[in-house]
Amino acid sequence: MTTFERVEAQLKEFKDLNPGELTMETTFAQLELDSLDTVDLLMACEEEFGITIEPDENLKTVGDVVERIDSLVAQKQ
Amino acid sequence: MIESQLCQLVGIKYPIFQGGMAWIADANLAAAVSEGGGLGIIAAMNANAQWLRQEIRKIRTLTQKPFGVNVMLMSPFVEEVAQVVIEEKVPVVTTGAGNPSKYMKAWNQAGIRVIPVVPSVNMARLAERSGAAAVIAEGGESGGHIGELTTMALVPQVRDSVSIPVIAAGGIADGRGVAAAMMLGACGVQLGTRFLSATECGIHPNYKNKVITAKDLDTIVTGRRLGHPVRQLKNKFSRRYAKEEYNMAISDEELEAMGSGALRRAVVEGDEENGCFLAGQIAAMVHKEQPAAQIIEEIFDEAQAVLKEAGKWVK
Ligand SMILES: Cc1cc2nc3c(=O)[nH]c(=O)nc-3n(C[C@H](O)[C@H](O)[C@H](O)COP(=O)(O)O)c2cc1C
Repeated sequence: MTTFERVEAQLKEFKDLNPGELTMETTFAQLELDSLDTVDLLMACEEEFGITIEPDENLKTVGDVVERIDSLVAQKQ
Repeated sequence: MIESQLCQLVGIKYPIFQGGMAWIADANLAAAVSEGGGLGIIAAMNANAQWLRQEIRKIRTLTQKPFGVNVMLMSPFVEEVAQVVIEEKVPVVTTGAGNPSKYMKAWNQAGIRVIPVVPSVNMARLAERSGAAAVIAEGGESGGHIGELTTMALVPQVRDSVSIPVIAAGGIADGRGVAAAMMLGACGVQLGTRFLSATECGIHPNYKNKVITAKDLDTIVTGRRLGHPVRQLKNKFSRRYAKEEYNMAISDEELEAMGSGALRRAVVEGDEENGCFLAGQIAAMVHKEQPAAQIIEEIFDEAQAVLKEAGKWVK
């Protein structure tokens, strides 16, 4: 599974997503995730990937999260 | 005497905070609470740096004791307010409405004890990780902006998920509430609604009177449609607002506009028809106006008596 697919799987805990609806450009705002949901999602991703993500303003889209995860996972190795 | 690690952490006699309350918790109220042995907190709400700086300088003329500032993270002035608390060397900062991690490093470096209000377990864990000195677990019984969980359910869950001190808020107004909060794992409490009745609280007499005469079912939650639920007293304004939330002919923008300025109308003008009178479910247990110091003493005398009696259940 790609990082995107694994993030999408985590997101499905919060949102009913139609197949193909989610793209790298989708924003949290479009998904109507508030700050609580966003923190929950990031923490779920932390467990999934075994990393620590610091939530900040640069994380606006699904793509931002995927890129951050990839770079954190690469740093870990 | 009831004492906990919270007393040492922020330098107070009784483990009680007066919660930040927009438009209400100013230097006068906060100073009275700090003088009474608790931690008074000035609410920065949506005010700018200049207003906050004045209030901070004012409280220092009224008391030598520690105090706090509540930073509302959704405020349009949050950046400048975040800076003022550093410049003015505020000892304690509490945060509301969001995730403060962005400011935590600078605040911690300035020696500020940062204590975020958290409505969920993950927010509490994140706060601890970012360097919070403690967290305030606030249940949805409270007045003002509310979370989903109740104090009863939230406090022990937060207690189990972090190792920093936990302060319970929401639905506490007397010594029994304090004792119960401690049994749930909190080492202190934050009260909002009860302090609305303090003599030093400068709200309009109509507001105070509404709180003092409120009964058990007199609060209502509005604002769920816009994603910012708020608990307030029932009146013409809140009933109309609650109804319009279900009216899809009204746009979100119109709904938003209906709410704007409503708290000020309650606090400053005492406008019983068009004001938004924020208060928690526990308003029904607030019976009279009295000095903040007396409120605190009364609460902790009762808490002590209740906790001493608690052994009677163990046979
Ligand atoms: C009138 C009013 C205004 C409030 N404004 C704020 C605020 O600006 N920022 C904040 O973090 N909490 C705010 N709160 C929440 C209080 O700080 C406190 O946590 C809460 O009142 C505790 O619950 P209680 O009302 O049941 O005592 C407000 C509460 C009330 C009643």
